[in-house]
Amino acid sequence: MAANLQQADASSVLEARRIHNQKLARQHDQTRATWFPVAVLGVLLALPLLQLTGNYNYLLHLVLFTASYAVMASGWNIIGGFAGYISLGHAVFFAIGGYFSGVLLARYGISSLLTAPLAGLVAAVCGYLIGLITLKVRGPSFIISSIALLMIARILFDHWEFIGGANGLSLPVTDLPVETAKLPYYYAFVLMAAFTVWATYRIKHSKFGLGLRALSKDEVKAESAGINTRFYKVLAFALSAFFVGMAGAVWGEYLTYLRPNIFLIILVSANLVLMCILGGKGTIAGPVVGAILIVAFNEIFVATLGASEINIMATGFVMVLGLMFFPNGVIGTLARKGKLPRVLNWD
Amino acid sequence: MLEVKNLCKHYGGIRAVDGASFTVEKGSITALIGPNGAGKTTAFNCISRTVVPTSGEVWLDGERIDNLRPHKITAKGLSRTFQISRNLADMTVLENVIVQARCRGFTELFRPAISADERDKAMSILDFLGITRIAYEDGHNLSYGQKKLMDLAALLMADPKIILLDEPAGGVNPTLLEEIVGHIKALNAKGLTVLIVEHNMDLIMRLSHRVVVMAHGRVICDGTPDVVRRDPHVLEAYLGGVLEEEAA
Repeated sequence: MAANLQQADASSVLEARRIHNQKLARQHDQTRATWFPVAVLGVLLALPLLQLTGNYNYLLHLVLFTASYAVMASGWNIIGGFAGYISLGHAVFFAIGGYFSGVLLARYGISSLLTAPLAGLVAAVCGYLIGLITLKVRGPSFIISSIALLMIARILFDHWEFIGGANGLSLPVTDLPVETAKLPYYYAFVLMAAFTVWATYRIKHSKFGLGLRALSKDEVKAESAGINTRFYKVLAFALSAFFVGMAGAVWGEYLTYLRPNIFLIILVSANLVLMCILGGKGTIAGPVVGAILIVAFNEIFVATLGASEINIMATGFVMVLGLMFFPNGVIGTLARKGKLPRVLNWD
Repeated sequence: MLEVKNLCKHYGGIRAVDGASFTVEKGSITALIGPNGAGKTTAFNCISRTVVPTSGEVWLDGERIDNLRPHKITAKGLSRTFQISRNLADMTVLENVIVQARCRGFTELFRPAISADERDKAMSILDFLGITRIAYEDGHNLSYGQKKLMDLAALLMADPKIILLDEPAGGVNPTLLEEIVGHIKALNAKGLTVLIVEHNMDLIMRLSHRVVVMAHGRVICDGTPDVVRRDPHVLEAYLGGVLEEEAA
């Protein structure tokens, strides 16, 4: 009798264990809802049809602006989220991309929509070379070195006459009618955002991504596990520079002028960092959600509180509240608690 | 198989390892013992180049490895564990194991992180160690003993020729200790060479074919467990502090 009871106990424990394991395996394998990002992309691609019924340029601008930050924040996420190196110097790659394509446009008339991938590559090469130097240190030293990079680049761009120096460079204005003027840039950014999300997903689930996640926790252990940590992190830095540079190229033409005090300011870098942190560093959906939230908060507070310092304070206040309740970012915290809606689990 | 020649590691004026030389025979279990501060772990770190040795040579299968970067050494077939289990939290046990699988060349980098083959192999290793049930558990949810087993599993993923175990029995309960001893013996029987740092004398004497004793950064005795047990220098190092020729 007693033996029977024990056996029943053991089998119920085993059963509970099996169910628990199944739950864990499910969590790690099948909670993706790929239809949702695809549906969002579909809606965004169809959105310009609204232009047939009236002028929705403000809405298009907001989506375009959010998409540009989604590209850059997702790119930043590769080095900052996966590899754990917080860089405040990514505005440099934004500027490199913008200026590379901008100069080609101003001097040779080649649209930056065509040269954007090339601009990304140039930024990536610069990122690779810079990474070889700055990625030797981690933690606060790396953050400071990335700020130093930004300051050096600012001085360089301010005094480089070929690209206009501190006065900047004016680019030709598009001659499209007002209803369609934004559309090329709108589609460019939306498609780039889709590509970036897909690329970061692929990176996170590759050998490379696994290695980056390992070295973000413990570089010594990762190295002794057979990971070439130096190459991995420099490559991650270059890849993240690629996406930021690509966004910079299109952004420059959209703005129609390039100036160091627009591109080479720490605000651009800080925005990327804040978006990733608010949305969830190291997750795929995090940077996108962060970009949407921060752009939305900015717009709402500017609209309701006016363009005074109060709107900036309100945005900051929301950030503080957000991080108090979502310390790992919205996506990261919800995922850890197991409360993430399926549609937002893109990892 | 592994040959350490005149290895030195100085931290400022402190000579943590001061000209240690010893060899590890192919297919053997060699133990590295010594009182606290003898330089065992530093010697370990120098061999796997987690720290850069001040001078000396390390040879693995006739190849000099002391000037290679750690991941290259791992690729040559020398894997190690750490004294304080340094698992990669935020990753599941399965990922922690598979991260050590070999990955060669640029194109390999961007293939999916966990291939079916690797999953099968990792699962069979976890099965061998009896921990398949925690495969999908997060690394930071594990107990201390489970982490030790996970470390061992991760080592095996890289198909090493020689493994360096830094205190595999430290802080582990007696039942699990028996289990770990059994695993090490089984692995050795399959032809894996083992170098082990350990404080548990009972385990050392039962497990190892050969014992290297270090004190003050030097090798003071080298032989079978029986020889070492009776060596007066060893007794003195453990019980009597400084050796006379050291003091001189």
